[in-house]
Amino acid sequence: MSRVLVAMSGGVDSSVAAALLVEEGHEVVGVTMKTFCYSETPSNGKTCCGLDGITDAKRVAAKLDIPHYVFDVEEDFTRDVIDDFVAEYARGRTPNPCVRCNSNTKFRDLLARGTALGCDRIATGHYVRVEHDEDSSRLLRGHDSSKDQSYFLWGLPKEMLPRLLFPLGELTKPEVRAQARSLELVTADKPESQEICFVPTGNYRDLLERKLEPVHPALVPGPIVRSDGTVIGEHRGYAGFTVGQRRGLGGGFPEPMFVLEVRPDAREVVVGTHEELFRDLVSVSELNWLGETPPAGARVRVQLRYRAPAGEAVIADAGSELTLHFDEPQAAVTPGQSAVVFDQEHVLGGGRIMRAELLEPV
Amino acid sequence: MKRSASEVFGNPSSTHRWGRAAAAALDEARADIASVLGAKPSEVSFVRGGTESDNLAIMGTSRGDGSPHSIFVSEIEHSAVLEAADHVADTEGATVTRLHVSHDGAIDLGPLDAITDGSTSLISVMWVNNETGLTLPIPDVVEAGRTRGSLVHSDASQAMGKVPVHVGSVGVDLLTATGHKIYGPAGMGILFAREGTALRSLHHGGGQERSLRPGTEDVAGSVGLAVAIRLAVDEQEAESVRLAGLRDLLEGRLLSTLVDIRINCAGATRAPHVSSVGIGGVEDGSGLLMALDLEGIAVSGGSACHSGAGKGSHVIAALYGEADPFATVRFSFGRGTDEDAVEHAVAVTKTVVERMRAS
Repeated sequence: MSRVLVAMSGGVDSSVAAALLVEEGHEVVGVTMKTFCYSETPSNGKTCCGLDGITDAKRVAAKLDIPHYVFDVEEDFTRDVIDDFVAEYARGRTPNPCVRCNSNTKFRDLLARGTALGCDRIATGHYVRVEHDEDSSRLLRGHDSSKDQSYFLWGLPKEMLPRLLFPLGELTKPEVRAQARSLELVTADKPESQEICFVPTGNYRDLLERKLEPVHPALVPGPIVRSDGTVIGEHRGYAGFTVGQRRGLGGGFPEPMFVLEVRPDAREVVVGTHEELFRDLVSVSELNWLGETPPAGARVRVQLRYRAPAGEAVIADAGSELTLHFDEPQAAVTPGQSAVVFDQEHVLGGGRIMRAELLEPV
Repeated sequence: MKRSASEVFGNPSSTHRWGRAAAAALDEARADIASVLGAKPSEVSFVRGGTESDNLAIMGTSRGDGSPHSIFVSEIEHSAVLEAADHVADTEGATVTRLHVSHDGAIDLGPLDAITDGSTSLISVMWVNNETGLTLPIPDVVEAGRTRGSLVHSDASQAMGKVPVHVGSVGVDLLTATGHKIYGPAGMGILFAREGTALRSLHHGGGQERSLRPGTEDVAGSVGLAVAIRLAVDEQEAESVRLAGLRDLLEGRLLSTLVDIRINCAGATRAPHVSSVGIGGVEDGSGLLMALDLEGIAVSGGSACHSGAGKGSHVIAALYGEADPFATVRFSFGRGTDEDAVEHAVAVTKTVVERMRAS
């Protein structure tokens, strides 16, 4: 058995991941990553990412009789994740900070520090699977489709794959909770954390106002327009909007209105009907492939949102930018979110959605 | 201490017999500590640990009435001193000057010339630095303070039992000592304040400890602290020779086993119970401590109070500059340390450092 570094957030999933590795006989080292200055955020007992999260992780580690350390990654996290989050909203896109953290901060840091600690393997409590062969490793969807977190992991450095372990990949959430209760882990009945860890209140506008100039174009009023350019209202700053959103547009329309597009240059939020939300040609950049780059013409399945079903698509182009042509137009394709490319259950890679258009208007 | 905890359960402030027994035990403990230090019993107050003692010395000596007050602290003080001084500056407008200390142990007392007539001032310089063992020239500081009419405080938390500490022969006005560095009870400390030193309490309530530290006394803790101080001082001469031998063994073996390392403050007068080692080619100092811990070697980097957060040491930054490229590991030696433990620590350190340099 080997020495394994396990990232423990103080939530139930990573607690059980650590416990399973101990049961398997590994020498387990628990770590919690301190990602930002908790004293600046209001306390929130619901999420796993507060200082209480660190304390809970320590309590679980003590119960499992494994060492536990805190990695301070605040500087890297602020630069790579929080600053990017703010910059993306300023560009009128909808960032996915968990993807950004996994791709740029968390796993790289775990690998570097784990290696220094003499750990052969790195483990987390994500609901995904990894298959190791002699000469390659493949990332697969988690067995519990309602919890599958592969959407967040397409950006992992490819060379890390052989060293990863995901002990929860074959389990369902209820099984994980049951395991935590039978081991009497203090985290057994902790609620799910839904919010972004550095925005525990869910109100990211406060963060944008702190990080951007108060007169930043993303935060000042601008026009709400229809696709044909007709001005139909005013918004309080385009950073408050994401494609597909219904709320915050005011009422008085004969049918429900959705955000179709955010145009930062004109400070416009474009709205329209549900039928106008669909796109079938999607451009993706900042690509990362976990194996071979799939060739143009390849038929793949692509997931455009967390928990959304994957759609069938053909790779129209796979150079520095990936162009995907979907069989069926997809609703609310959102720039800034991830497009994750699968071959059945197997994660091939992904990237950040830049643009989307509709080839054949319906 | 155990007997005090189980049998002497009265409140020393009570008039009844149990109270009187507790008061007697407390008086004995106070007298014992006073005699060891060369002080009068009335000059010794029991407080809750070293931090509280430092805070009381620093914050309690400013008059708090807005009159000119200046505080001089060495750069390498414990944060209990540095932050208390900054607090007095922030809340009462005192000026705080940090005195530079070089890694050969010299302290720059030049800034003390700024002390003006009619102002009050306090100089606080630790007896022994906690991270490096550096022993500061307290008699020189006392002399400089006396000629300028300034009070002098010294935090001797790390000095008790390691080097001779005697307020009868070295005339500091205020002295901090604590229990947990000398196998005594954690959370117990004393502040020595020479007779006639004006001191304001930081707490409000009853009249315990001559109103300097209101609150029901911890008799068992006080008795335990007195015993710990007595033992530490009695054993100091012999134990310091033994510890110095172990420290020199460790440093010699590390220097011959690993390249690109530095013994911090090597040329200076040092207390024998710590060795601060700078290690080159290792970027992540906190990772080095974790790696050593994982292999069974419990060491510290900066002051252990902060090292959980992985921030660098202000002491090493002061002694060697902000851009010092070495990661710091502090090895400590105590009653349980022997030559085998030192040899084991050297072997593990070599393995871990070489692994980190390669990764």
